[in-house]
Amino acid sequence: MLLLFVLLFGIVGWRLVDLQVVDAEELADRGVRQRSRTIELPGRRGRVYDREGDVLVTSVDSATIYADPRAYRSGETPDGTAKPPAAHAAEVADVLAPLVGRDVADLRAALERDAHFVYVARQLDWELGQRIMDLELPGIGLLTEPKRVYPAGPLAGQILGFTGIDGAGLHGLELQHDDILHGTPGQLVMEGAPGGLSIASGARELRPPVPGTDLVLTIDREIQSAAEAAALRAIEEFDAVGASVVVLEVGTGDVLAMASEPGYDPNDVSGSVQANWRNRAVTDVFEPGSVQKALTAAAAIEEGVVSPTTPMVVDDRIQVGSKTFKDSHDHPVEHITFAEVMETSSNVGTIQVAQALGKERLDRYLRDFGYGSRLGTGFPGESHGLLMPVESWWNTSLPTIAIGQGVAVTLLQTAHAYATIANDGVATQPRILRGTVGEDGRLTPADPSPTERIISSGTSRQVREMLARVVSGERGTGKTAQVPGYAVAGKTGTARKPSADARGYSGEYVASFVGFAPVEDPKLVVAVMVDEPYPIWGGVVAAPVFQEVLEFALKHRKVPPTEPNASLADALTEAALQEALADAQLEGPATAADEPASPPVGAAAGGDGAPVAEP
Amino acid sequence: MELGYGQDRTQRLMREKVQDKWMDAYAPVRHLDPVLVGVALLLTVIGVVMIYSAKAHVTPETGPALARGLATRQLISFGIGVAAMVLAAVFDYRYFRAYSAVLYVLALLGLAVVLSPLGVEVNGQQAWLAVGGFQFQPAEVAKVAVIVGLATVLHERREDPGIVTVLVSLVVIGIPIGLIMLQPDLGSATVFVWTAFIMLLAGGVLARYLVGLAALGGVGFWAVIRLGLLQEHQVQRLTAFLDPAGSDARYVYNGEQSMIAIGSGQVFGKGLFNGTQTNLAYVPENHTDFIFTVVGEELGFFGASIVLGLFILLVWRGLRIGMMAKDRFGMLLAVGTVGLLVFQVFVNVGMGIGIMPVIGIPLPFVSYGGTSLIASFVLVGLLLNVHMRRF
Repeated sequence: MLLLFVLLFGIVGWRLVDLQVVDAEELADRGVRQRSRTIELPGRRGRVYDREGDVLVTSVDSATIYADPRAYRSGETPDGTAKPPAAHAAEVADVLAPLVGRDVADLRAALERDAHFVYVARQLDWELGQRIMDLELPGIGLLTEPKRVYPAGPLAGQILGFTGIDGAGLHGLELQHDDILHGTPGQLVMEGAPGGLSIASGARELRPPVPGTDLVLTIDREIQSAAEAAALRAIEEFDAVGASVVVLEVGTGDVLAMASEPGYDPNDVSGSVQANWRNRAVTDVFEPGSVQKALTAAAAIEEGVVSPTTPMVVDDRIQVGSKTFKDSHDHPVEHITFAEVMETSSNVGTIQVAQALGKERLDRYLRDFGYGSRLGTGFPGESHGLLMPVESWWNTSLPTIAIGQGVAVTLLQTAHAYATIANDGVATQPRILRGTVGEDGRLTPADPSPTERIISSGTSRQVREMLARVVSGERGTGKTAQVPGYAVAGKTGTARKPSADARGYSGEYVASFVGFAPVEDPKLVVAVMVDEPYPIWGGVVAAPVFQEVLEFALKHRKVPPTEPNASLADALTEAALQEALADAQLEGPATAADEPASPPVGAAAGGDGAPVAEP
Repeated sequence: MELGYGQDRTQRLMREKVQDKWMDAYAPVRHLDPVLVGVALLLTVIGVVMIYSAKAHVTPETGPALARGLATRQLISFGIGVAAMVLAAVFDYRYFRAYSAVLYVLALLGLAVVLSPLGVEVNGQQAWLAVGGFQFQPAEVAKVAVIVGLATVLHERREDPGIVTVLVSLVVIGIPIGLIMLQPDLGSATVFVWTAFIMLLAGGVLARYLVGLAALGGVGFWAVIRLGLLQEHQVQRLTAFLDPAGSDARYVYNGEQSMIAIGSGQVFGKGLFNGTQTNLAYVPENHTDFIFTVVGEELGFFGASIVLGLFILLVWRGLRIGMMAKDRFGMLLAVGTVGLLVFQVFVNVGMGIGIMPVIGIPLPFVSYGGTSLIASFVLVGLLLNVHMRRF
C-alpha cells in the first residue's frame, strides 16, 4: 500500500517537473499569447505646413463612438453565470441617433447585430463624444481616433488632397507623400481576460508609435489664397467653367501657388464634386495658343534664325500646304520687326520664323522647355502633355504648333517654360515640397531642384524684352497685365479648345496669360488659364487675373519696385483697362487649325487623354 | 499484619507518585502528533491565502471584496474544523465504533435529504444543503461516516475475511455511493470506491476477492457510462481527457488552462498575487477544484513541491499512526483516512496537471469549501485519537 502511495505521488511529482521545468517556457508562452490583446496605435500623421510655417493640414483627436452589442443581449459570464441584458438596444438607439445624426432604425439594427463591436459614429467632435460618454449608456464606448483636418478649408485643396477615414492618403500630396506622412503604428500589448470582457491591470507592453514626418510646402498660403480668389472672380465675371493659376518663384522652381477653381473642401470630401478634386494645373492639359509663341521665338533667336530687330514683311495670311493661316484680324502687308510680331501676336510672322527654324529644331526646343514629358514633381496624376513625335508631324503641324495649337501642355509646364526664360535660360525643375520636419522639429530642406541650361542668357534677355513690349508696348496685347511700379513681361493666349467628342475643335476657347516680373531680374512667374470664358480673349480675361495675382505676390514677397514713377504706371494701367476691350481684336485666336488637314492634338494622339480640362 | 513495602505510607506515596508519573506519560493528551496537526494547520493557512489570491485581482472593483468574503468564510470553517478535530480526538475513538451505525444512518439521511427539494443545486449538482445561511455538503460528512462504518464492519468481522464480509462491506459503501450518484457527483463517488478498496485491502480481505472487486468496478464503470447514468457534461469531460483533439473545446478548456497556469509558474512562480492566468480568471473554479493552479502559477514548482511535501508528511504520519494503532479499528480508520487523502490529492492535482480527467474533487485542507475542510479536520482528529490512545 505504501508502494501504491509512493507511486501515486511519484507520478504527480514527475508530471509537475515535466510541466513546471521542462515544458514551462512553452506553457508560459501559450499563456502570454492567449491573454495578450494587441491594440494598434496609429502613428500621428505628419502635418503639412506652407512655406511660412502656417498649418495647412493637421490631425486632431476625434471621438469615435462604438457599441458592444453583447450588452443588449442576455449572455453568460465566462464562469457560466447568466447575465441579463444591460439595456435595450431600442432605447440606446433612441438616445444616440439624434446625437450622432443617424437614423434610429438603422442604428438599432446595428446595435442588435451579432457582433462584439460596431461603430456608432466615427470621428465626431471631441466635445460631442464626451457628451455622449457622459450619458453613461451601457455598451457604448469611445475610441480616440485621429481625424485629418484642413484648417484653411478649401485652400489648396487640390494640392493637399485628402485621406480616407482610416488616415491613408487617397489624393494629392496626402497620397504622393503618404509614406513620409503616415508614420509607423505602435502597439499596445495588454493582458486581457478570456472573452475580452474585462481588462485587468495585467502587464502592458507599449511600443510607441512613431509619428509621421511633417511636410513643408513651397506654397505660400497668402499667394495661394489670392490666386484662388482671382481665379474664382474670373470664373464669375467671364462665366467660365474653370480657371487655374500657377505662381512660380524664378530660380528655385518653388511653386508658390497653384490654384484651380472651382475647388473643393477636403474637410468635406463626400459633399464635393469629384471632378474638382484634380489639381488641374498639373493633371489637365490645354492648347496654349499664342502663349507658345515666346518659346518659338526663343528657339529661333537661340538658333540665330532671327533677332528681335530683324525686319520682316508680314501679310495677314499665309498659305502652308493646303491650308491658310490668318492673323486675328485683316491688315495690309506690314514691314515690322520680329519684336513687333510678338507684340501684336501675329500668327503669320511667327509661322514665317518657325518655317525658317524648321520642325526638328522647334520640336527639340519645345521638349527642352519641358513639353511632352512630366516635370518631375511626382504629383499624382501629373500629365506629360501632348507633343507628337516630330516624325509623325503633319505638313501643317509646324505652323500649327508654332502658334500653340496642335500641342497640349499643363499650366505648370507653361509656367515652367516661362520661368526658364525668366531665369536667364536655365530650367529649374518645379517643386512643391520645400522640406520635411522630423521628430526633432528641424527642417530638412528638400534637395535643390535640378537645373539645366536651355537657351543662352542673351537669348533669354532678348525674349524677355520682347515679352515686356507685349505688356508695355503701344500695340501690345497684354496691357491689362501691367502692375504699377514693376516692369512686367508676358504673353496672352487665346486658343480654341478641341472638341471633347468629335474630331476638330469645339466652339469654346481657353484664354491664357503667362508672364513674369520684374523684367530685368525676374522673381516671379504667373501663369493664368481661364477655361471657356466669355469674352474669349486672353488679354481681357486672363491678363487681369495675372495682374491681380502678380501684384499681390510681388508685394507679399517684398520684391522691390523697379519703376520709380509708380503713379504714372497707375495711370497707364487705368488707361489700358479702358482700352482693353477695344483693343482685344489686336490679338486673336489661331483660327487656322480647325481644318481637317490639321486635326487637334487630342484626336491625333489617338485618344491618349483628351486635352480637355473639364467634360 | 502483614509487613510490606506498601504498608509504609511514605513508601506507598512515593510508589504512587512514580506510578502516576508513569501513567501520566501514557495520558492521551501527552501523545498528540504535533507534526500531523502542524501540517494540517499549515495546509489550511496556505489554502486560505491561495483562495484569497485566486479571486482578489480578478476585477479591481469587486475582486478584493469577493476574495475577502471567501477567505473569511474559509477561516470560519477553519475554526469550526479545529473545534471538530478536538472533539473527534477527545473521546476515545472506540466510542465511534459503538456509535458508527448512528453516524452512518445520519449520513445517509443527509444524502437523502439533499436529493429532496431541500437540497440546493449548483452547477448541475444537487449536492448542497442550506442550513441557516451556511451550505454544507452531506457527501463530505458521509466520507467520515463511511470510513468509520467500514472500519467497524471490518474490525468486527476480522475473523472472516471471506465473501460475506465483502458483501456486507459492499452494502455499507454501496448505499451512499448510490445516493451520491443521484446528485450526481462522480468525483465523490470515485473517492468512496477508492477508499473502500484501500480499506478492504488493509482489512485483510482475501486478494482474490479484491481482484474480483476491481474487475467488477471496471465493469460497473463501463456500465455507468454505457447506460447513460452520467450527465452529458461528465461524459464529455472524460472523453475530453482521453481525446482532447477530438472533443468539444469547452470541455478541454479547463484542463488546458490549468496546465498553462501551472506550467507558466515555472520553477519559482510569478509571486504571490501575481499570477496572470489566475488574476485574469482563465482557470474556472480556481478557488475550489482548481486551487492547485494558483499554487503552481504563483509559487512555481518550488511552492507546489512544498504543498505536495506537506501532503506526503501527512500520509507518512497517517500510515505511522495506522501501524502503531492498538487495534484493527484504529488501523483501519488511519488507513481509510490516508487512502482518502492520497486519492483526493492525486486526482485533484492530477486534474490540474493533465493526468486525470476533470471530475470535481477538492484538494483537502486547501480548496475552498467548509464541509470538506471540517470533514478533513475530523479525520485528522480521528487519526490523533488513534495515535493518542495507542497504548
